[in-house]
Amino acid sequence: MSRQTIHELLLDVFKTRFEIDNPGLDENLRETYDFDSIDAIELLSELETFLGRELTQDEKKQAMDIRTLRDIEEYVLRMQQT
Amino acid sequence: MNRRVVITGAAAITPIGRTEDRIMDNLLGGVSGVRPIRSDDLLARQVHCGVFGTVDEEIEYDFPRRNRKTMGPVSFYACQVATEALAQSGLTEDVLTSGRVGVAYGSTHGSPTVQRDLYLILGREGGLRRIGATDYLKSMVHTTAVNITRLFGITGRVISSGTACTTSAQAIGFGYEAIRFGRQEAMVCGGADEYDTTTVAVFDSLLACSTRWNDRPESTPRPFDVQRDGLVVGEGASALVLEELEHARRRGAQILAEVIGFGCSNNGGDMILPNAAGVRRTLLMGIEDARLSPDDVDLVSAHATATPMGDVVEARAIADVYGGSTPVLALKGYMGHTMGACGGIETVLLLHMMKRGVVTRSLNLDEVDPRCAMVNHVTQVAEMDLRVVSVQNFAFGGVNTCLMYRRFD
Repeated sequence: MSRQTIHELLLDVFKTRFEIDNPGLDENLRETYDFDSIDAIELLSELETFLGRELTQDEKKQAMDIRTLRDIEEYVLRMQQT
Repeated sequence: MNRRVVITGAAAITPIGRTEDRIMDNLLGGVSGVRPIRSDDLLARQVHCGVFGTVDEEIEYDFPRRNRKTMGPVSFYACQVATEALAQSGLTEDVLTSGRVGVAYGSTHGSPTVQRDLYLILGREGGLRRIGATDYLKSMVHTTAVNITRLFGITGRVISSGTACTTSAQAIGFGYEAIRFGRQEAMVCGGADEYDTTTVAVFDSLLACSTRWNDRPESTPRPFDVQRDGLVVGEGASALVLEELEHARRRGAQILAEVIGFGCSNNGGDMILPNAAGVRRTLLMGIEDARLSPDDVDLVSAHATATPMGDVVEARAIADVYGGSTPVLALKGYMGHTMGACGGIETVLLLHMMKRGVVTRSLNLDEVDPRCAMVNHVTQVAEMDLRVVSVQNFAFGGVNTCLMYRRFD
């Protein structure tokens, strides 16, 4: 998937799953939208659907430092290559 | 330390309504909230009982997503009544977040709807991966209590009783004691249970459910009636804001009534069979805790689930303690047995009746069972000066409770 495709998929997930409309690329999701650790776990299951594979426990733990939409895009790009 | 405790907020969601006016109209009009059981893909067709005490009005919730995401249906009920009761109390955010306010709230078993979905997920290929991050938070046994704390930022103690049919009665009793003995200034107390057929199946398998009135839902359950044939499971919720008297007075709060006593015990024996000695002892504990004599009580709200033996044992225990003249009211004929919510809901209904000076009749009590006839059943709507009332509830496991309330003049 291209970065643009990932971006569009994520915007759709944020809107439908988390009721967050068009978050800015570098906005802190926790501070701005109450996106917390529970949401992060829910998001990972959505990312597994994008990627078409299960993430390992180690890969999931890497996602716990994510703070922005840009971080998520880069995480997905990285997971695509592994 | 032995402080006085008053009620400054009260709210309920019941099969006969939510507002005082609607509830009282239905109580005084003899309108039942028992409906045909809804079809589902699990148990509705297997259970023999075909009725359920149903909340059939749409409730518009206004909770933010950060709160909704950890709520199963039972917590939506709990948070709604807590919101309404706290609004009535007028307690402000700085008090709620001070650490001097706590929550005593529970349900029979968390959210069975969410638990049911989890069981279905776990039976599938790759089930573990399908469990959502919030599924446990929605379904755990203390989900109602901590969803209330999160919604209001409450930082005091959390007590989450989970004793089936005495859940909300214990929550009120333990909340009362937390304030009375100086540990908290106010407590949000009560219980909730959601629509669920697995609860029906539990009682159905124990032959405790009503089954002969499936074609006439409004005619069952029939507490103390000669034709009663078992309980009817229901849903609902209630919340009371309890507060230390001087704390309430200082801020000019409206006081709805005073909690004056709490008795609680266990039969120490059989898990299911009713126990007259245990019930009798608990009623006396409640009366003694209130420093009253049985003659001071104007109305007894019986647990009266309409099981063949439970009602007989309860009537005997009431007669032993109160004699044959104190009026005895059974409210489950209107709503079925709202499980963990029942003691709190029955309290809210009594507060409405106390305020209006009127008592409804025990619905579906057309012909008193001779074995239950030794007490003074309320069979007609009547004006009554209610100064002191008692609410008694009993649960599987042999748990007994008795709450005592006094009108605040």
